[in-house]
Amino acid sequence: MATKQVRYEALVKALHADLYRYGYWLCHDKHIAEDLVQETFLRAWRALDSLKDEKAAKSWLITILRRENARRFERKRFDMSEYEEATITDVKALSSEQDIENHWLREKIAQLPEEYREPLVLQVIGGFSGEEIASMLSLNKNTVMTRLFRARNQLKEAVDNEPKLRGRHNG
Amino acid sequence: MDDLQIRRCILADPKSRDEAMLNALKSDPTKEKFAKEVEALDFEIARAMCIPTPDDLANKLILRQTLASHQQQKSKKRIRLAMAASVAFVMGLSINFMMFSNSYKNLGDYAIAHVNHEAEHFSNNDLSSVTLASLNEKMAVFNGSFNSTLGTLIFADYCRFDGNKSLHLVFQGQASPVNMFILPNDKDIEFIASFANDKLQGRSLHFNHSNIIVVGDKKEPIEQWRERVNQNISWSI
Repeated sequence: MATKQVRYEALVKALHADLYRYGYWLCHDKHIAEDLVQETFLRAWRALDSLKDEKAAKSWLITILRRENARRFERKRFDMSEYEEATITDVKALSSEQDIENHWLREKIAQLPEEYREPLVLQVIGGFSGEEIASMLSLNKNTVMTRLFRARNQLKEAVDNEPKLRGRHNG
Repeated sequence: MDDLQIRRCILADPKSRDEAMLNALKSDPTKEKFAKEVEALDFEIARAMCIPTPDDLANKLILRQTLASHQQQKSKKRIRLAMAASVAFVMGLSINFMMFSNSYKNLGDYAIAHVNHEAEHFSNNDLSSVTLASLNEKMAVFNGSFNSTLGTLIFADYCRFDGNKSLHLVFQGQASPVNMFILPNDKDIEFIASFANDKLQGRSLHFNHSNIIVVGDKKEPIEQWRERVNQNISWSI
């Protein structure tokens, strides 16, 4: 029992931040993201014995979280009709130039189509390779690479078309 | 690698650099500049994506799990207790069933099994040690009495064999002891007047409240024994 507890706590400490961020980018709501992470870790605890390979822990947890998120949609499909991504409020007070920059980019990331955003989050936050993302999302690798390309391409175009902000940042 | 391909590769995965890509970047400053821009963008993206996590999320997660598994353990304990109780209950039932139910269909099977079970304790040469008085004292439980000891009575005592309480009498026979059982009527055991196996033979006598069974070896004049019992027994009710 003690070893299971120790494993669990190590897992929580090492991966909760990444998981929370991943959850946030799935649902754009810090409270829902927190709930998702709670639910994910609770399920992870119950199934912890099935996790043989500690290296696979991150993708395992992300798979659980994705499933939890999908379940959320099954439960409240009708709540989502009013959803508008442009109305996302940032979690942080705008206190410095860097924050303004982050805030702006966060909105752009949030506005990406979900099918582009999810692989990007997995690549940037999760540090997964194209193959790993492909197997997690049940896609083939070429599709994942195309989506990653389109996601970055859209962000780059947005950044390039924002001369004022970029100028301020660069100058 | 053509230009578009390189751009696609860089945008899809800015961190991956294979040999062909490195060569292409070295040979073309515009491509290198593009690669640098995307790297910088990726850095920004990574920073933007790193939204702050709620304070103490890790502790909350651990706390919640501890509480949940505590609940689970409590209910597990209850389940285990319930299971232990049912196992004990079933064991009690089956022991009861095994101890106090009859595994013999008829009196003959019962008597032969009883004789075989205890045969080694009795020898035909044992000295007579039971008087008529003490025999009848024991017979009083069955509301019966004998007029004589029927022969040389070696042993007389109550015997619980396979759940049936009986009075077990052992007489000196011609070659081996003759066993007699006085046991109450039991509707679960079929009455059988005469029975035998390859070594033993027996007769049963049916009375109002009791049965008397005589078992001896094949040489024994068993009918005489039966007759002797019939003539010497008397019942008070």
